[in-house]
Amino acid sequence: MKMLAIIRREYLERVRTKGFVISTLLIPLLMALVMVLPMLTMQSVDTRNTVGLIDPSGEYFAHLDAALSSQEDLHVSLIPLPVAGGDVASATASMQDQIRDESLDGGVVIGDDFIGTPKATYYSRSVSGSIVRDDLQPALDRVLRQARFARVGVPDSLHAFLSERVDWESLSVGDTGEATRRDEGGVMLLAFTLIMMLYMMVLVYGQQTLTAVIEEKSSRVVEVLLSSVPSSQLMFGKVVGIGGAGLTQVAIWTAAIFVMAGQGLSVGGLSFDASYLTPMILGSFMVFFLLGFLLFSMMYAGVGALCNTIQEAQPFATPIMMFVIIPMMLMTLVLRAPGSPLATVLSLIPMFSPILMFMRVCLASPPLWQVVLSWVLMSATIWLMSRAAGKLFRVGILMSGSAPNWATLVRTLRQPD
Amino acid sequence: MASAFLHVNDLGKSYGQVRAVDGISLEIPKGSIYGFLGPNGSGKTTTIRCIMNIILADRGEILFDGRPLDRQLLDRVGYLPEERGLYRKMKCAEQLAFLATLKSVPRKEAQRRAEAWLERLGLGEWKDRKVDALSKGMQQKVQFAATFLFEPDLVILDEPFSGLDPLNVETMRDVIREQNARGCTIILSTHMLAEAEKLCDSVCLIEGGRKVLDGTLEAVRTDFPLKSVRVAYAGGKEPPARLPGIAHRVFQDDSWRLTLESGASTDAVLDALRAAGQLTLFAANRPALDEIFLSVVRERRAAAGTEAAS
Repeated sequence: MKMLAIIRREYLERVRTKGFVISTLLIPLLMALVMVLPMLTMQSVDTRNTVGLIDPSGEYFAHLDAALSSQEDLHVSLIPLPVAGGDVASATASMQDQIRDESLDGGVVIGDDFIGTPKATYYSRSVSGSIVRDDLQPALDRVLRQARFARVGVPDSLHAFLSERVDWESLSVGDTGEATRRDEGGVMLLAFTLIMMLYMMVLVYGQQTLTAVIEEKSSRVVEVLLSSVPSSQLMFGKVVGIGGAGLTQVAIWTAAIFVMAGQGLSVGGLSFDASYLTPMILGSFMVFFLLGFLLFSMMYAGVGALCNTIQEAQPFATPIMMFVIIPMMLMTLVLRAPGSPLATVLSLIPMFSPILMFMRVCLASPPLWQVVLSWVLMSATIWLMSRAAGKLFRVGILMSGSAPNWATLVRTLRQPD
Repeated sequence: MASAFLHVNDLGKSYGQVRAVDGISLEIPKGSIYGFLGPNGSGKTTTIRCIMNIILADRGEILFDGRPLDRQLLDRVGYLPEERGLYRKMKCAEQLAFLATLKSVPRKEAQRRAEAWLERLGLGEWKDRKVDALSKGMQQKVQFAATFLFEPDLVILDEPFSGLDPLNVETMRDVIREQNARGCTIILSTHMLAEAEKLCDSVCLIEGGRKVLDGTLEAVRTDFPLKSVRVAYAGGKEPPARLPGIAHRVFQDDSWRLTLESGASTDAVLDALRAAGQLTLFAANRPALDEIFLSVVRERRAAAGTEAAS
């Protein structure tokens, strides 16, 4: 009842501000922009690159062109360049002129005896034009292989038989139900979305919790409040109220993402396909987000409880940020082997769970007990934190004067309740 | 004092080496207005914070109506801290209602009472304004309202009159008397002794974290050794310049004020005065609370000084 009143007040005080309304509306707009911009650049890449071919023998253009056109998602259109009197050097020089004046995007020079000495040189203004290279290289390889097979008299049917490639499909086995197909790109996108959202929320609302707690102390409302409610309830109510405001914002943003995803937007070529969102992933997303947010807010509240000014709080707030940054650095480790003992242990550390355990849920379906255990551990930590924050708060009120240090922090926590 | 409402027994609290409160025991009678007096830094606020369980006492026992303070009891106790604090960005009425809900008043009822109190304190027009927009005095009135809004059984007011003009002090005094008449026990912590004298029926004086004296206002004043008498002679005659037992004489407001030597017998002094002429006035000069206060505090500090020196 009392806690509800505190939650309600914190929530309403935040949601009613202009800043809240503006940022709630502005972020989806920015997101749309961020999503649309790469799409626009993708489209400009989509226009085919004109690449010239200097082929002194004149034998290979047709083969190469055929090999290229059998490829999906082609970015290159090949044109043969004349080689007057077999003078490769002058043909190359004039091709370079064309590249320079941008009538060609690039050029490939192959030798007279391509089958004997399979060497190709690619010219372009930027060496990093990987799209062109990714198209050309396999095509040239195929032409070479075909020609060599032909030279040693292997029939086309045998060649086709030998060139067959493995049809690869990734399935992941969950605790229940059928193996599901997962697109790693999509899963990664989802995991990154959560991580970025969590990171942002921790950054913005964690700081707000910190500020709110410090302000409460400096405005001296706190003495009146503490004469009505226990300090841990006050802390919990504050964090939940501020968190509620944050969640409202996230809910609106998420809805915006889904609407945009519905419009077929994609990020960096990875489509945001709702079919990856199994109930398990979606459900654990929410739980991890909620618990993660509470956990970090509570840590900020504890720091705020101890300090009198934001400046004083900075040295204590930075280590909290490390708890978000470290798991981000450990992500590759978990990505490489989501089921390894190391990944299991790391993902069970309460501060790391929201990022690492969720990644494992997305990638590898870890045993359910591990997921539940991480939730239990996080909840326990949150509870402990709220008690600690309450205690710090009560003691911190009268610690005006000198700035706190780690020694007082430890001493305070050891005091009986 | 059988019906003591609040018992404080041997309360102690130290900050590092400083003993802020050093074994204070109090008995606050039910339905009284209790003056908790002492100079700055004597441990008043620390004692109150311990009573309100805002800070933890190192030792001692605090009982409300025979029970230690728990969450339910907290809802019956109002507290006006010395350092005032309200949410600056919150509207007055909302703020009052919020603080009342924290004392378990249902929300609708809290809103109704908040508006009634603002009206009563002459802040009716300000109910939808943010606290920020109010003057210091107005803010204090809002906070005053917050302390009484939930009809508590006990209210602790820490320096309630500081920073208020006489008109507002009068309003607050009325509120205190009225709430006391309703049955609310009130603890008034202050160093403004004249105010305490007007309001309180019992007082306690503390100094250096220790209780110096306590009791009903009447008893405190009667028990205090008489320090001076007022006399007048027929025909405006002066009292003799030198008399046994009298340290000092001064003419003040149509009569002579004679300061007694410590340990002097009033009877002996009276006899000597009679011998000097026809008395038209002989009155015990009842000490004002601040006189007692000053004399006791000075005595104790002097004693502490010689103790430290020896």
